Amino acid sequence: MSSDSAAVAIDTGDLPFGGGMLALVRPALDLLEPGGVLAVLTRQAHAIDEFGTWCKVEHHELLESANQPGGVTRILLRKGSLGAPRGKLEDGLDLKSHNQRLEASQMLAAVPLPLTADPGTGFAPRGARVEPGGPVYPYTINDLAHAAPPDIAQLYDQAISAQWNADTDIEWGKIKPLPRPMQRALGQVFTFLAENELSALYVPSRFIARLHPHYVETAQFLATQMMDEARHIDVFLKRARIGGGGVGISHATTSASLHSLLVLEDFTEAAFLLSVLGEGTFLDLLRYIETHAPDEVTADIVRRARADETRHVHFGMSHVKHALASDPTMYTRLEAAVRKRSATLAGVGGVPYAVQDSLTILAAGGNDPASVAKGHNAFRELMEVMHDNRVKRLLTAGFSPAQAQTLSDLHTPNFM
Amino acid sequence: MADETILLGAVAYDAKVVPIWEGIREHFKKQQVPMDFCLFSNYERQVESLLAGHIDIAWNTPLAHVRVKRRTQGKSLSLGMRDSDRDFKARIIVRKEAGIKTLNDLHGKTLAVGSRDSTQARILPLHFLQEQGVNLAQVKLTAFDTDVGKHGDTGTSEIDVLKALHEGRAQAGTVGDLIWVLEQAAGRIDTAKLEVLWTTPGFDHCMFDALPGAEASKLEAFKRGLFAMKWENPEHRRILELEGLKEWLPPREEGYQSLAKALDEQGGW
Repeated sequence: MSSDSAAVAIDTGDLPFGGGMLALVRPALDLLEPGGVLAVLTRQAHAIDEFGTWCKVEHHELLESANQPGGVTRILLRKGSLGAPRGKLEDGLDLKSHNQRLEASQMLAAVPLPLTADPGTGFAPRGARVEPGGPVYPYTINDLAHAAPPDIAQLYDQAISAQWNADTDIEWGKIKPLPRPMQRALGQVFTFLAENELSALYVPSRFIARLHPHYVETAQFLATQMMDEARHIDVFLKRARIGGGGVGISHATTSASLHSLLVLEDFTEAAFLLSVLGEGTFLDLLRYIETHAPDEVTADIVRRARADETRHVHFGMSHVKHALASDPTMYTRLEAAVRKRSATLAGVGGVPYAVQDSLTILAAGGNDPASVAKGHNAFRELMEVMHDNRVKRLLTAGFSPAQAQTLSDLHTPNFM
Repeated sequence: MADETILLGAVAYDAKVVPIWEGIREHFKKQQVPMDFCLFSNYERQVESLLAGHIDIAWNTPLAHVRVKRRTQGKSLSLGMRDSDRDFKARIIVRKEAGIKTLNDLHGKTLAVGSRDSTQARILPLHFLQEQGVNLAQVKLTAFDTDVGKHGDTGTSEIDVLKALHEGRAQAGTVGDLIWVLEQAAGRIDTAKLEVLWTTPGFDHCMFDALPGAEASKLEAFKRGLFAMKWENPEHRRILELEGLKEWLPPREEGYQSLAKALDEQGGW
């Protein structure tokens, strides 16, 4: 039997109408297109009465009923069009596992992403036939160009296998108390990191509910991104508080910068500003902290976080590159988004002082003046590295050298 | 200038009646048909209000419909009905263990029936049983007179009948075929215990009624708005589902003859 069968026959034995017969009749009807004919064999004498009413309620057409030898009645009905699910029946899919694994990318290959999606299909999974008449959902990201880059399933698969445990994977027991200046600097650095990661947790969450579920791999990836951020917030705050320290200052500059991310209404703009520019810049910051970490556990924490953030940057780059290739207005829109954000942040000043000072002390390894001079240089170099790498990422994403230079210059002094 | 707004009466048999008519009013507005509704607590009051000219149109049960017909000497105007209102039937359901194989076997047994103003659960099944030669004086009736005034709209008395049958408080019972089939389709009937003994002839259900002197332009506008509702339209479907239909259909009168006869016999006018 296939979805376009013109006629299907089923034998319902002596099942009563309300005692199981419909469990055979309704799936058989689902295999038919409207207008197709279903023959039902039954040994229930009364079934025809119930069928008459049921067909009326469901708007199928009862064609005939005929007695056959052996007390069997054959009922013929024509499937009505009212309420018939739309779409083609998915049948015969046979996903194959490899080495006991079945990845999202294999499923995506078997059931490809559509170019556009209809918000009227609600939460119906991609490929499901949809009964008409459901409400229109408030999705605003309904096309492939703005919803999902081509490698989204691979990114999700990678994210799933790279998850780690903030409780058990970090050797918390090996952390030793630090001299007070270092402990305060470290507390401030991790306060700043946690604050930024909170925004990276909240910003993607705003777009999941706007994304059409036919692009669920993007929602699934964003869910891993949010889980990553949740874990980072967890380990960063633990590191700030273990060993006698505590959290530091939240600056107005940071707050203004992160607020401008939270209020973004466009998914691609958010992916660009948060993941490409923000998290991209954070990769350099995390590498700096790892290089100057006072102990191996702290280095391990930021190394792990950086591996996660690299995936987020990869997603952002892939998303933006895909959108730029599909939508010719995208360059202008993204540049405008950066300019608008920069205008919003005009006057907030440079890198927040407590962040700058703590990064300097961290690189100095303490607060004796000679070391602090070295730390100061390291911090200045960090600013240059961040700028250079931002430009490289912008070039990779598809911007021209001049655009890349301008956009990098306009980036927030808050890094994210 | 006369008010062009069509005033429609409906009975508030359930809380969903409000969203149904709010939705239909909204749909009529989009069709440029001004319409408003007022809700009655029972069909008797609604019929009196229609006859007194307080409302233009009444959404009536079959009982209210035939009463309006009778009170207007057959001149009242019928405007439309649901697809589900046509060819209604009632069922005589029996407990399998009760040994009731023919209608005559009902004598001496307990028959659960619905509300006294329910066409499908009491008035017509009893009429048809009598027509088939059942002597009702020899049948013990257990009546579920719930929601009197609502003419069986709530379906509560039919659910009560099915419950009494499932629990063995009656050996037989009368319900409308819609409830019987929908309860089965929803998997709520124990077919090991209950079966159909007999099905009555068909009869029709609800109808939009207007008085013979109603303004023709209002009635035309009403029909235009009503028949523009489509199942495929999500906004319409929500309302149609609540009201229990897939399509509005033109009226027909022949489906109410048995009810008029039953009311004559039972003194039910």
